[in-house]
Amino acid sequence: MTRFLLRKAVGMLGVLLVLSLVVYAVFYIAPGDPAQLACGEKCSPAQVAQVRERLGLDAPVYLQYAHFLQGLVAGRDFSAGTGLLHCQAPCLGISYRSGEQVTDMIAARLPVTASLALGAMVVWLILGVGTGLLSALRRGRLSERLLTALTLAGNSVPVFVIGLVLLIVFCAQLQWLPFPTYVPLTEDPQQWFWGLLLPWISLALIESAKYARLTRSSMLETLADDHIRTFRAYGVSERHLVTRHALRGALTPVIALTAMDLGALFGSAVLTESLFGLPGLGKLLVSSVSLIDLPTVVGLTLVTGFFVVLANVIADVLYAVSDRRVVLT
Amino acid sequence: MSRSTFTPRRLAAATVTVALVVGVAACGPKADGGGSGSKDAAPQQGGTLTVLNQNPQDQFDPARLYTSGGGNVPSLVFRTLTTRNRVDGAAGTKVVPDLATDTGTPSEGATVWTYHLKDGLKYEDGSPITTADVKYGIERSFAPELSGGAPFLRDWLVGAADYQGPYKDDRGLAAIETPDEKTIVFHLNKPEGDFPYLATQTQFAPVPKAKDTGTKYQDHPVSSGPYQVVKNENDGAHLVLKRNPNWSSATDDQRKAYPDTIDVQSGLDPAVINQRLSASTGPDAAAVTTDTNLGPSELAQVKDDKALASRVGTGHFGYVNYLAFNTKVKPFDDPKVRQAIAYAINRTSVVNAAGGSSLAEAATTYLPNQEAFGYTPYDPFPAGATGNPEKAKELLKEAGYPDGLTITLTHSSETGKGYGPNLATAVQDGLKAAGITVQLDVLDGTKYSKTIHTVGTEPGLFLAGWGADWPSGGPFLAPIFDGRQIVTDGYNFNSAQLNDPSVNDEIDQINKITDHAEAAKRWGALDKRIGEQALTIPLFHPVYKRLSGKDVRNIVISDWTGVLDISQVAVK
Repeated sequence: MTRFLLRKAVGMLGVLLVLSLVVYAVFYIAPGDPAQLACGEKCSPAQVAQVRERLGLDAPVYLQYAHFLQGLVAGRDFSAGTGLLHCQAPCLGISYRSGEQVTDMIAARLPVTASLALGAMVVWLILGVGTGLLSALRRGRLSERLLTALTLAGNSVPVFVIGLVLLIVFCAQLQWLPFPTYVPLTEDPQQWFWGLLLPWISLALIESAKYARLTRSSMLETLADDHIRTFRAYGVSERHLVTRHALRGALTPVIALTAMDLGALFGSAVLTESLFGLPGLGKLLVSSVSLIDLPTVVGLTLVTGFFVVLANVIADVLYAVSDRRVVLT
Repeated sequence: MSRSTFTPRRLAAATVTVALVVGVAACGPKADGGGSGSKDAAPQQGGTLTVLNQNPQDQFDPARLYTSGGGNVPSLVFRTLTTRNRVDGAAGTKVVPDLATDTGTPSEGATVWTYHLKDGLKYEDGSPITTADVKYGIERSFAPELSGGAPFLRDWLVGAADYQGPYKDDRGLAAIETPDEKTIVFHLNKPEGDFPYLATQTQFAPVPKAKDTGTKYQDHPVSSGPYQVVKNENDGAHLVLKRNPNWSSATDDQRKAYPDTIDVQSGLDPAVINQRLSASTGPDAAAVTTDTNLGPSELAQVKDDKALASRVGTGHFGYVNYLAFNTKVKPFDDPKVRQAIAYAINRTSVVNAAGGSSLAEAATTYLPNQEAFGYTPYDPFPAGATGNPEKAKELLKEAGYPDGLTITLTHSSETGKGYGPNLATAVQDGLKAAGITVQLDVLDGTKYSKTIHTVGTEPGLFLAGWGADWPSGGPFLAPIFDGRQIVTDGYNFNSAQLNDPSVNDEIDQINKITDHAEAAKRWGALDKRIGEQALTIPLFHPVYKRLSGKDVRNIVISDWTGVLDISQVAVK
C-alpha cells in the first residue's frame, strides 16, 4: 500500500508538471497580449511596455516558466509599488488582472466549489443509487419506468435550464427558498445549506441518471452471481441478501465513478456556478482565460488537475477496499 | 450586511400555504401592499441597500479605476475635486464641485487650472484631506503597478508622458503644484476647457501617502466619501460598505447617503438578477442593479404588469453605435460608395435588432442626442425609416458599380453588445434592397477589438460603438477624428484615419473654450461637418431599462451615467 501511494504521488507530480507546461505553451501560441489587456485599450505602447516589464512578460518564455517553478519551490517577490510583496512557496504567481496572489484567490474559492461538488455528490448518490436500486428490485414495474424516465429527463436538460426553472418556481413564484447565495459553512451552517440546495439539486439531476443506470445494471449483474444464488438457496431473506451481500459488490463501480466525477467537478461546474452566482473555481477559470491571466489559469489548472488525479487514486483505494480481490501495487 | 435568513420552519410554513401562494403567484410577482405607495414618502436614513450586479468591482484602487464621472460604487468611497451633478436627466450632465470650492479657475488660456479645497474635509480616520494627497493620488496612477485608468492625465499634464509614478520616481510631477494645503494647480501642455470634467475621475481622489499600500491599497482604500469599505472579497465580487462617521453632508451637497450599509453582490447571472429584482423578496426588496438591463423579452413581460412597470428606470448614457469605414480600403475610399451605403441603411430593422424602440433610438448624428454633447440634428443622407435603395443605386452607378456591389462587414461574435451578429444581419438585409451584397466576417470578442483597432489589420467596414468619458463633444469627436490621434503602434480609434488639418485645428480651438454651452455648439457644428463626409454611419443610441426592488426610493438617473445613482437611493 505504501509503495502504491508513493508511486502514485510521483506519477501525480509528473502529470501536474506536464499540465503546467502545456498551459504555458498554449498561452504563448494563442493570440492576444496580456500586458495590453492588463493596461487597458487606451494605454500607449510605452505604458504597455512598462506593464509588460512589471509582469515579467518581457523575459523569454523558458525563463518565465523557470521563474514559475522557482516560485513553486522557493517562493518569489513581486513589486507592490510601495514595497515588496512576498509570495510564499508554493507560489503560483500574482494575477495579471488584480495583482492578487493566485494561491489566495484559489484558497478563497476552493470552499465554494468544494461545498457545491460534495453536496451535489450526496444528492446524486441518493437520487441515482436509490433510483438504480429500486429499479433493479422492481424491474418492469410502473414505478421503475417512472423513475428511470425522470432521471433521464434530468440528464437531458442542460443545467442552466433546470437551474433557471428551479429558481423561477421555488424562489420567485412559490418563494419557498431564498435565491441562492454562498454563505460559508463556518459562518452560518443553516444559510450555507439553504443557499446551496438548489445548485446541488440542479447539478445532481444532471448526474443522477448515469448513476441510476450504472447501479441498476451492476445490481442485476451481482444478483445473478453464483454466490448470491447460493445464499438464496440457503434461505437468506431477499432483503438481507440485497443489503448485506449484493450491495457491496454492486456499488464498486459506482464508487469509482463517483470519485472521478467529483474530481472533475472542481474545474467544470462553471455553468452551475455562473447561474447561481457562486464564486467558485470554474467561474474564475473562465474569466481568467478570457483575460489571458496566465498565472491564474496555470494555478487553477494545477489545482483542478490535482483534484482529478487525487480522485483517481482515491477511487483505486476504494475499489480495493470494497472488492478484496483487487490488490494495489 | 444582511443576507436572507431562511429557516426550515419558514419552509414548513410555506409548504402549508402552497395552494394559496400558487394561486397568487400564477399572476406573476406580487406588488406588496404599501410598496409602491410609500415610494412617494420622504426618503429616510438607514437600512441596507443591496446591489445585484454581473460584473465584479474587481478594481477598487482609485488609480486603476476607469470611470465616467467617478463611477457609481467607487463614488461612494472616493470624493474627487469635482463630480457629476446628481439630478435627473439633462441637468445631470453638469459638472459640480466636490472636494473643491468650485469647478476650477482657468488661466493662461485654459492651460493652467487652480482649485481650492473646502474647509473641514476629513478621511474615515478623521485626519484632514490635503491637496498634497490629491497630487499623490494622481501621481500613483502613473505607476505601472496601478495601470488601467484613463489616458488623459498622461496626455495633458506637462512632462507626464514618461513619468512612471512615485514608487520609481519620488520627485513627483512638477506639473502639479500644491502651494499650500488647500490649493492645487495643474499645468497642462495645451488648452483644455474640459479639465473640470476630467477632475471627476477617481484619479483625483486624495490618497494619504502614509497609508498607501501599493497594489494592496484596493482591499481597504482610505475613504473620503460617505461610506468606507468593511469587506472586499473575491476581487470585488462581494463588497460591503458601511457609513463613514467622519464624512459630513455639510461639505458634500451631492451624495445623499441614505442607507447605513451597502452590500454589493456581483458575479450574478443577468436573468437571475432580473428575476430577483422582479420577485423583490426579503432583502431583494431593497435591491438595485447598476449594470443589468432588461432584455426585450423581459421588457415585454414587465409591460403587462403595472406594479412591475412602475419599478423600471429609463436611462440615457451618451453612446453611439455606428458603422465604421476604413477609407484606405477599396471601395470605401470612394465617398459615393460610402454615401450609397448610408442611404441604403434600414434603421428600423437595425433598431429592432438592437432590442426594439424602447432599447434603441435610431441615430443619424454621430454625437449622442443630448444637448451637453453639442447635439445638432442633421441627416445628410436621408434614408428614412427603412432606407432609400433607389438613391443608393443611383450613387453606386455614378461610382461605377451599375450592377451592384459585394462588400464584407466585420462584426463581433458577442451578442447583446451592439456589434454582434443580430446587427450585422440587420445591416446586411437593408443593403440587399440597394443591390449591395454583404458578406459577414465574424471574429470572437477579444480578437475583434484588437483587429478593428490595429491600423494594419483594420477591416474596410465594421460595427463599432463609442461611449463618452464625460458628457461633452470633445471625448466623443477627438479620439475618432483627430488626425494626430492616429496610433500606428497600438490601439487606434480613428478608424477612418482622417487627418484633416482644418478638423484638427477646430478641435484645438474648441478645447480652448471654457464655457461648456458655447463649446457644445461648436462641437455640434464640427460633428455635422464631419458627418457629411460619411466616414461613419450612425445607427442608434442605446437606451437603458433597469428594474429596482419594490422598497427602493429616490431613484435619480442622470444623462451623464444613464443609470440610477446609488448615492441618492433610499430604502426607508
